[in-house]
Amino acid sequence: MRAGRVALVIALFCIAVGAAGAVAVLAGLAPVSARAGHWAVTDWLLHFAMRRAVEVRSLAVETPPPLGDPMRRAAGHFETGCATCHGSPARQRPEVVRHMTPVPPDLTPRIPTWDDAELFWIVRHGVKFTAMPAWPAPLRDDEVWAMAAFLRRMPELDAESYLRLATGEGPRPQDPVVAGCARCHGADGMGHPGEEIPALAGQSADYLYGALRAYAEGRRHSGIMQVAVDGLDDAALRRLADHYAGLAPAGLGRETPPDGAEIALRGAPAQGVPACIQCHGPKQGPRNPAYPHLVGQHADYLARQLRLFRNGERGGSPFAPIMRTIAGRLTDKQIEEAAASFANGGNEGGP
Amino acid sequence: MALRIASPTGAVLVVLVAACDGPQSALDVAGDGATRIADLFWGMAAGAAVIWIGVVGLAVYATRVRPGEHSGRTAKLLLIGGGVVFPTIVLTGLLSYGLLLIPELREPSDGRLIVSVTGEQWWWRVRYETADGRTVELANELRLPVGEAVEVRLESRDVIHAFWVPSLAGKIDMVPGRVTRLSLKPTRTGEFRGACAEYCGESHALMAFPVAVMEPAAFAAWLEDQHALAAPPSTPETERGARLFMAMGCGSCHAVRGTAAAGTIGPDLTHIGGRASLGAGILVNDVDAFARWIAETDHVKPGVRMPAFGMLAESDLRALGQYLESLQ
Repeated sequence: MRAGRVALVIALFCIAVGAAGAVAVLAGLAPVSARAGHWAVTDWLLHFAMRRAVEVRSLAVETPPPLGDPMRRAAGHFETGCATCHGSPARQRPEVVRHMTPVPPDLTPRIPTWDDAELFWIVRHGVKFTAMPAWPAPLRDDEVWAMAAFLRRMPELDAESYLRLATGEGPRPQDPVVAGCARCHGADGMGHPGEEIPALAGQSADYLYGALRAYAEGRRHSGIMQVAVDGLDDAALRRLADHYAGLAPAGLGRETPPDGAEIALRGAPAQGVPACIQCHGPKQGPRNPAYPHLVGQHADYLARQLRLFRNGERGGSPFAPIMRTIAGRLTDKQIEEAAASFANGGNEGGP
Repeated sequence: MALRIASPTGAVLVVLVAACDGPQSALDVAGDGATRIADLFWGMAAGAAVIWIGVVGLAVYATRVRPGEHSGRTAKLLLIGGGVVFPTIVLTGLLSYGLLLIPELREPSDGRLIVSVTGEQWWWRVRYETADGRTVELANELRLPVGEAVEVRLESRDVIHAFWVPSLAGKIDMVPGRVTRLSLKPTRTGEFRGACAEYCGESHALMAFPVAVMEPAAFAAWLEDQHALAAPPSTPETERGARLFMAMGCGSCHAVRGTAAAGTIGPDLTHIGGRASLGAGILVNDVDAFARWIAETDHVKPGVRMPAFGMLAESDLRALGQYLESLQ
């Protein structure tokens, strides 16, 4: 009897509080102004909830092999996509973002408080109610790990070494669009071996345009490249493709045969795998310009793309499904061999 | 009353008899092996009919004519005689006859011609080897001279298939890692159809091939033509098709002898325009069918290993079709 009365009182109290809240929201009294920030208790609660969620949810993250040194593509993307809110070793957070609620944190003191899996989780999923976005390409965990690797190292970087990574070295091209690409792909368009940044110089213009279009339309997936081409119109994409196609005789598309590997020269007929060179050159006779040149391309980039193709995670131009079919039949060893052989073939007489 | 019953029965009979006809019927025989099998079938059918009439007659006798009790001696005689002795004799006879048939179906050929057929998911790689040692690789079609015993060597590259041309002979499995043999001796000319007779994956039902039995002279001329290199393109459209064929990388899997295309993964296309069908017996052979096959390969034959080139423009597909059709 007594217990029933207590429950009734509690229920009535809850209803009253809920009703009062509803009236306040209806009356436009909810405190949504960013100027005032959160109440201390709200701030504490939100941060506590976020930290607990990241700690627990990142338990399921499988940590890849030790995060390596290559950081250029992550640094370049940090400069494009992250520094605007978080600042960087080379600049403070912009005035504008310091008036947000919550204020995007300066990452230098925060990064050491998260482990690798937690950094990965935050970059991959973003954080609700904070304006921290999720990674644009859900299929590209490799990019998210590259980002985590870069973030781990970022607190040690001074402005100069950060800029060297994020904006490249050497002279900047005049054309601002090309200059943007050159930050990672180099003013010479040779990319960076070991960083999974492909060489573009001398690549077929049709292929480059097809790849850029695919990124722009979300048919090829990369949190880095989709952001990089965002906002470029068709004429700009065409101009970029032509620019890189016309660069450097030392670039791709040379007629040196790939070095050695059976898979590149003759394929693996028993597995239904044709020779790479039949479509990608070098070979006599006509070749579809939408198929990329591979001789001279960096091995780590090629191997990554082949794995993405094999997993069905690599989009691209309308011709990409052909490569998905073929790559699906490759073994890990064949992927490594094919990638290495095209990279090495390019080194003969190359830089 | 009797008529009303007779007429649907007649209709059923017509349908059944009609189904015995046609290019893929074991009862429409055109070869030695198939004749033996058909003879065996008709003999067994007649025997089965006699036994059936006997059993039904006995049942009628026991329940209607003399429904009373029968002596235990008669019953025992019937059980042991009809249930043990008779089937043992009949089945032993049939088994012996069947086993005796097998070497006959595989009897050594005249040795003038050896045809190797390799089953692959889901098509047939065909190689002709003549007594003079010349070989030529073809695909998805079998042509044979009438009256000659041809040795067919059967292999598989992937899973177990079975080679069956019902009008010519029985079926024999194609087992990976083994060569099975079959002797085909066609007895009359005509167009027939063979099919894979062992479930071999999702497009098993789309793995067939046309068979033509020809007069020896016509056959020899045809085989000579197959040895020839591909006809070079002769019109601007077929020339464009030939260029597209090379540019798109078709030659990395397919061979067109006489060009740079020397792939061995898929069917040899040197004379594809002259074949009776496309896609291993499933499409008619014309420009439209080529275009459809190239653009929608995986729809026409689900699970097929060839990637579809649906991204090509209609005009390119037609040019490729024109070129392939010109490869007579």
